[in-house]
Amino acid sequence: MPKSQFIDPSEVRKAGEITFSPVPVNQYNKSVEEEKANFSNEDLLRIYRDMVVIREFETMLNLVKIRGDYNGIAYDHPGPAHLSIGQEAAAVGMAYTLGVEDFIFGSHRSHGEILAKGLSAIAKLSDEQLMQVMESHFDGITFAPVKNRHSGTVKELAVKFLIYGTLAEIFARETGFNKGLGGSMHAFFTPFGVYPNNAIVGGSGDIAVGAALYKKVNRKPGIVVANIGDASMACGPVWEGLAFATMDQFNELWEGNMKGGLPLIINIMNNQYGMGGQTCGETAGYNIAARIGAGLNADQLHAERVDGYNPLAVIDAYKRKRKILEEKRGPVLLDVLTYRYSGHSPSDASSYRSKEEVEAWEAQDSIAWFGRELVKAGVSTEEKLTGIKGDTISLMESSLKLAIDYDISPRMDMAKYPNLIGEMMFGNESVDRMEDRTPEVNHPMAENPRVQQLAKKERFAFDENGKAHSKIKTYAYRDGIFEAIIDRFYKDPTLIAYGEENRDWGGAFAVYRGLTEALPYHRLFNSPIAEGAIVGTAIGYAMCGGRVIPEIMYCDFLGRCGDQVFNQLPKWQAMSGNVIKMPVVLRVSVGSKYGAQHSQDWTALTAQIPGLKVVFPATPYDAKGLMNAALQGTDPVIFFESQRLYDMGEMFHKGGVPEGYYEIPIGEPDIKREGKDVTILTIGATLYRAMEAADILQEKYGVSAEVIDARSLSPFNYEPVLASVKKTGRIVISGDASTRGSFMKEMAQTISELAFDDLDAPPVVVGSRNWITPAYELENSFFPCAEWLIDAIHEKIVPLKGHVVKNNFTSAEQIRRNKLGV
Amino acid sequence: MAIPVLMPRQGQSVETCILGEWLKKKGDVVKAGDILFSYETDKASFEEDAKADGILLDVFFAEGDEVPVLVNVAVIGAIGESVDEFRPGGQVAATAPETQDTVAETVAAPEVKKVAEPSGKVKISPRAKNTAEKMGVDYQILQGSGPDGRIIERDIEAAAQVMPKLTPLAQEKAKAESLKPGETASGLGGKTIAKDLISYNPVYGDDFEVKKLTNMRKLIAKAMLTSLQNSAQLTHHMSADARKIMALRKKFKKVLDAGQISQNITINDLVCFAVIKALKKYPQVNSHFIGDSMRWFKKVHLGLAVDTDRGLMVPVVKNADDLSLEGLSAQLQAIAGQCRKGNVSPELLAPEAASFTISNLGNYGVEMFTPVINIPQTAILGVCTIVPRPKDLGDGVYGFVPMMGLSLTYDHQALDGGEATLFLREIKEQIENLTAPFPFPQ
Repeated sequence: MPKSQFIDPSEVRKAGEITFSPVPVNQYNKSVEEEKANFSNEDLLRIYRDMVVIREFETMLNLVKIRGDYNGIAYDHPGPAHLSIGQEAAAVGMAYTLGVEDFIFGSHRSHGEILAKGLSAIAKLSDEQLMQVMESHFDGITFAPVKNRHSGTVKELAVKFLIYGTLAEIFARETGFNKGLGGSMHAFFTPFGVYPNNAIVGGSGDIAVGAALYKKVNRKPGIVVANIGDASMACGPVWEGLAFATMDQFNELWEGNMKGGLPLIINIMNNQYGMGGQTCGETAGYNIAARIGAGLNADQLHAERVDGYNPLAVIDAYKRKRKILEEKRGPVLLDVLTYRYSGHSPSDASSYRSKEEVEAWEAQDSIAWFGRELVKAGVSTEEKLTGIKGDTISLMESSLKLAIDYDISPRMDMAKYPNLIGEMMFGNESVDRMEDRTPEVNHPMAENPRVQQLAKKERFAFDENGKAHSKIKTYAYRDGIFEAIIDRFYKDPTLIAYGEENRDWGGAFAVYRGLTEALPYHRLFNSPIAEGAIVGTAIGYAMCGGRVIPEIMYCDFLGRCGDQVFNQLPKWQAMSGNVIKMPVVLRVSVGSKYGAQHSQDWTALTAQIPGLKVVFPATPYDAKGLMNAALQGTDPVIFFESQRLYDMGEMFHKGGVPEGYYEIPIGEPDIKREGKDVTILTIGATLYRAMEAADILQEKYGVSAEVIDARSLSPFNYEPVLASVKKTGRIVISGDASTRGSFMKEMAQTISELAFDDLDAPPVVVGSRNWITPAYELENSFFPCAEWLIDAIHEKIVPLKGHVVKNNFTSAEQIRRNKLGV
Repeated sequence: MAIPVLMPRQGQSVETCILGEWLKKKGDVVKAGDILFSYETDKASFEEDAKADGILLDVFFAEGDEVPVLVNVAVIGAIGESVDEFRPGGQVAATAPETQDTVAETVAAPEVKKVAEPSGKVKISPRAKNTAEKMGVDYQILQGSGPDGRIIERDIEAAAQVMPKLTPLAQEKAKAESLKPGETASGLGGKTIAKDLISYNPVYGDDFEVKKLTNMRKLIAKAMLTSLQNSAQLTHHMSADARKIMALRKKFKKVLDAGQISQNITINDLVCFAVIKALKKYPQVNSHFIGDSMRWFKKVHLGLAVDTDRGLMVPVVKNADDLSLEGLSAQLQAIAGQCRKGNVSPELLAPEAASFTISNLGNYGVEMFTPVINIPQTAILGVCTIVPRPKDLGDGVYGFVPMMGLSLTYDHQALDGGEATLFLREIKEQIENLTAPFPFPQ
């Protein structure tokens, strides 16, 4: 789209061919003896120790799961345990060179990675730093059980802390790394650079890209590693993440020192199975996963396969790849070959593989082999290695005893504090900027052409005689959103925005017009048409500490980022025990005139998911105020807009939309018109049709309607609505969503429950039909209109004298439609 | 046939009673005379018993409820009988259609329609039900105007609008005393109770103080009103030459002062003595008129109106015609004293106790009045002050003579004007010709 890039037909139509460089496979072939020049004996023994720790940790869990007992310590763990026995060399090799500022993201099978990265961080942090980390995490709650019983060095204590914190988390104890709210598949510990592991296969495939984007955009040191399985290479979001990570613009369009690739390693922990599906030979076609890199960019992602059964081979790869990233030539793809002896989970009977195969891998076991090599190279003795194993078993035994003790490691006391998890769902913070530094902008805000243009607009829809200003002169809904966003761009240096057509075009609905001039590329850019990656990367970006406004254009595209919106965005604040903030404002526009796949209101889908705030302003004043509030918070907000509204002026707020900053609290409905006979509660753009209905009701039937604009869906303060119903005794809830299962239904049910004694008729929902959205010309028979509202009031709430219905709102019709599912 | 159990009206001023305790429960078998419930006014506790045998079909109020008097509290009847018609508010709503035209024609006020037969299953919105209870509207009999015939709030409001807003007692009182509902409505469902009624006058507004009547006053009021309402009264006036009676009085005074007699014989005593004599000649005046018959008394039971601090009292002296002047004087003095002290026997105060009454206002300077008959007596004599009037002394000589005014009110139902006049003349004669019953000591 940028005009600077000329697509020359005579160039692109030329004949030619794509050539590929060879993709290295298991090229490392040094012996321990040779590596002694690069590693001290201590280093090599630590590599051995780290692998043994992981092996014993996983073995312990395996025994607890299958026998309920580890070395005489009995415990029943009903939760999941996806173990990585056999994969230790890959994990330790991956983590060994990483600094504390390097972040890893993982999968459901990431205990080994947590421990490897944790042990690596412990080796690199000073005793003071370690004490500070341990003392400050949840004010020392995780640390206390190990601290009180420790004698020895701080590093030994930190290892105990790591094992205990992870184990207590797996056992859902309040002393765990995430208060027991993450559990086995989501455990993580950010002070050691361990970012969320993800129970959704490939879930880290786009989130890690966002984390790398955060590092790059905010000039943070360190790289990001996405540990994802070989089977996740089939997942759409992983491909979308890769597509996002390899955008040409990083090298072609981003300016100055922002030019260059993302500091990201896609680390395929290739254990060769996706549950029971064999990726090589059965469920995938890449044969060697490193091949994938060749198709993604000219650098072929610097992809190679590394022997993940030799920790030194993996370490070697990481040393080489880090250099590439430091040269801003990322991202990199590594295919780290490994094998798990344990099943997918303890219930896995391994029916998909032969005993011989498992035995053959065990015969080449990385820990046994590496131990022999260390002895052979004179780095260690057998006794020393046996001693390490013995120490590790003791460490596991003592950690297990602590973690299962209900006095030392209690679960959250939900009986005493029943709202504990509820309090974790949102931070409800008010934060001007996520980081204190000067935002990078192209010119002072006052010089921005759009800002100058808005200064001349009429901020209220009507003149003093009540006559509407011309569209072109009217400050509109899209201007309200723009003002809130540009204001935040000049306040918060971490704020970035992206989505399809966000730059140059100014967004499909012209909300961002003028932003291109104000912001450098890295703060506002066009994404690939990949909603999964748009939202997924935003999650990773926010998780690391940045504020971000992803935009997916049409609401109908929510399905394309379903996992991100439903599983990732809402979950991480609570699953982290509130360690992580999620300042993401996801802009979603409800369409109109564009038919079945571009006109749906799916607010209910998002409002149904715990952990999301959902707003849907209908006026410029509310749009600006709610966007300000959304951007001031640190919680994920789904910000619904409507294409019926973008050019609407402010018709309600006297004095028009204020020029200065103001917030409208999320969750507060607004009475747009006072009345006494019937309440009409609307969601989104239906407000205007309700106003029209209110006029007709007043003029034709003498019925005074109170119109309330919900403005927010979740959270939602029912009190003003209940007060209104107390007055009127009657309520219609209307919105553009298809009626069945809509949020209108949720509201109707809640109002029935809370206002039962005040109700003169059941709350009636007037939503859209349960059909496909037809063509614009037929929309009147699909979306609610004033006439429907009046008919529904007449048929179901209070018969209006002299009214003749045109639409069938009878109970019989309702039953019939439900029977048919339409 | 089911019958309602009313909250009794316990006295004139009781508006509502607090239901104390149910001694029978809904569904209990009750016999006439069984105590159903206790209740209390602000002054006392009472018990109400069953007036019929049957099943206590329903109770409409709970213990502790404030219940307007004369309102149905419960229903006694046979199993299966409907109680709905007795539900408080029902009777009221049933009278609604007469006034439905006055309902303002707004969308929220449809016509009040009633169902022919309450089916027992009523479709009503929760809000309407609450409003009905608050306003005391019986929704069971209403026809809903909502979707599918649901009773909705506007139906209740419309029914309430055409429903009297006054309690039964208040309606009665307002009618009787030309009062209007005041600003406060302190009864159930915002109804105006009798206490809330005010007398508002365009001239003086409410610039007055309401004084509660004493029981005595109430009794007098009732007696007076009943008298005027139930008899055909008219009064004849005449005057008697008082020279002789005054001279007599003087003489009695003199002998009293001299200690020769002990009884102070007053003019009133002398008049009474004279009237008794007249009554003996006109027995038809010494009588009671009781509708289709009269009681002609053989003896004279003389009532004497006595002014006391607590109001007018009329004690009786039995068999007054048997008494000497001195004896009569003593007895009159005794009962008047008892009245003033308040220890007179109530028997002596009953209007039926006297056969004729004398009311003497002479001491107060009243020259003429129309006393009110103490029914069922047939007449009353008002004795007025003595004033000098010119009189023909004979031989064309006129002089001023003290004359005593006499006002006889009689019930024309019992006596004709002629009889009354003759009787009055007889009194005059008796007074003018009264002589001392004994020779005065010289």
